[in-house]
Amino acid sequence: MTQKITIEPVTRIEGHAKVTIRMNDDGTVERAVLHINEFRGFEKFCEGRLYFEMPSITPRICGICPVSHHLAAAKAADELTGAVPPRPASMLRELMHMGQIIQSHGMHFFELAGPDLLLGFDADPAQRNVLGLAGANPELTLKAVNLRKFGQEIIKTLGGRRIHPNFAVPGGVNKTLKMEERDLILSGAPAAIEAVKAGLVIMKDWAERNVEDINKFAVFPSGYMSLVTPSNGLELYDGQIRLVDQTGAQLEKFDGRDYLDYIAEHVEDWSYLKFPYYKKMGYPQGVYRVGPLGRLNAVDHLDTPLANAEHQIFKSFTPGRPVENTLYYHYARLVETLFAIERAQVLCSDPDILSGDILNTRQDYRGEGVGILEAPRGTLIHHYKADENGRLTKVNLIVATGHNNWAMTEAVDSVAKTYIKGPVVQEGMLNRVEAAVRAHDPCLSCSTHAVGQMPVQIEVLSMQGDLLQTLQRD
Amino acid sequence: MKTIIIGYGNPDRQDDGIAWHVLQQTALRLGLPVSDSWEDELPASPELEFRFYLQLMPEIAETVAEFERVCFVDAHTGQIAEPVRLVELSPAFQASPFTHHLTPETLLSLCLALYERSPQAALLSVRGYAFGFDQALSAQTAALLPQAVDLLHGWLQP
Repeated sequence: MTQKITIEPVTRIEGHAKVTIRMNDDGTVERAVLHINEFRGFEKFCEGRLYFEMPSITPRICGICPVSHHLAAAKAADELTGAVPPRPASMLRELMHMGQIIQSHGMHFFELAGPDLLLGFDADPAQRNVLGLAGANPELTLKAVNLRKFGQEIIKTLGGRRIHPNFAVPGGVNKTLKMEERDLILSGAPAAIEAVKAGLVIMKDWAERNVEDINKFAVFPSGYMSLVTPSNGLELYDGQIRLVDQTGAQLEKFDGRDYLDYIAEHVEDWSYLKFPYYKKMGYPQGVYRVGPLGRLNAVDHLDTPLANAEHQIFKSFTPGRPVENTLYYHYARLVETLFAIERAQVLCSDPDILSGDILNTRQDYRGEGVGILEAPRGTLIHHYKADENGRLTKVNLIVATGHNNWAMTEAVDSVAKTYIKGPVVQEGMLNRVEAAVRAHDPCLSCSTHAVGQMPVQIEVLSMQGDLLQTLQRD
Repeated sequence: MKTIIIGYGNPDRQDDGIAWHVLQQTALRLGLPVSDSWEDELPASPELEFRFYLQLMPEIAETVAEFERVCFVDAHTGQIAEPVRLVELSPAFQASPFTHHLTPETLLSLCLALYERSPQAALLSVRGYAFGFDQALSAQTAALLPQAVDLLHGWLQP
């Protein structure tokens, strides 16, 4: 008799994701699948709007990384209007983007991944959380909160308000950076670096003690994708897209505007989220990973000293090959956080960052534009087509969680097969399956939250649909 | 007592944004100046401050810990029977396995863990009926607004 287990954290209305685990009679897992049940229809919603509204509209897609959508929309609008931003404007946008990376990565590592790493997958769920972490290490937790705050303050300084930024416009930005604001950002950087270094110490210590887990927890080959500098260094705001294969060899390096020549999307009837893949290899051979692990595997180096030194250590885990271990997403996330802080220092130390030359008003209207950047979770693509009046006729958004859709399902399947031994499913097994998803830091919720959130539930069903076992986490 | 009112939700998703309307109407009743846009800052004085967020975030704990009283304002679904409800809150961690969602109880726990103090707290929630892409409240939730403002206004009285 085959059993079916469903893990479903249902937030009020979105019903955003669930994991279904189908078990064989002998208690082994036959197949585990991550379903993304969320459908927002944002692309259709945007059609008919004016292109210059998009930097204001699209941040509403996500409450966690609105800056990424704001900037990708502005970049698409730059290209659509043919208005190349002046250098200071691009630097200011990149600085805001670094703020986004710092706050998002910082929150994920210390508050979502940290408890697993510091307290253990099998720890009591009542303790395995950020409060357990605060109890175990209050100084570290405070550093983590301040790290996120440092990133948020950069965003607020430039964006002018706490919620949705009002900053990037087609052809540039609408606000200069004052010297005292620049100095305040620079003064906060050393403490932010120290917080990340503390996280790296934890990560390395944990990795040393958990080699066995790391080497059997969702380790699988794939391609990897990231924006890169001309010399294949890590680039989060601009640059070309580099795609490497499972050995790390370059498959393609192309301009973002040509993405449709290289990327296609596969559809499965059990998920609303599509599965992007490298067109020339087909699906599923052409699947790839994005985000911190994808990026650090797709680049050769990082152009800031501390982060580059950590990248060298990261690469030494699997010399000459990409790092395939899903749990190293957490390590890569910290390396990128370090890079973002150092990059913010570099930007703030350049005199141009204080320049008043922030907007190019000369346009060469083209009616089509693609804006791409590396959001915290991976490559974010905004593609707009507009009529002669600037009204959008076509909008295509490929978000980071979409690029990683295949990888998340593969990770869930791998972890379930490795760790779940039925017929009774234990708490620690469930947490490992969740951790496989968490490692990718997917953005599945965000649009609405309210009182009444449902707990996580696991249902074990017989082939006939009889309920055999229910696990619930409040 | 030094008090903060924290509303949260997404005003682009209809009734999910009820909290902002409650804050705006309460501020108006108190004779405080308030904007028509939820993206603008709300009134703040040393004794009473209003803030609105898309969602609760960990760093808000630092602000909340500076106050003696806090009232969170949110929407709720049919899982809660009352159309408008005001309840006292205590610090308590609630897990959110896949998402970045933070509950007010968890935020209070963070206050306690990080700053060794947590204010007297309450949660005012209003039943939401529609959560589509629209900034207008549903007629049913809009009808509950005066009752919610009355409750919050009463809670604010010493």
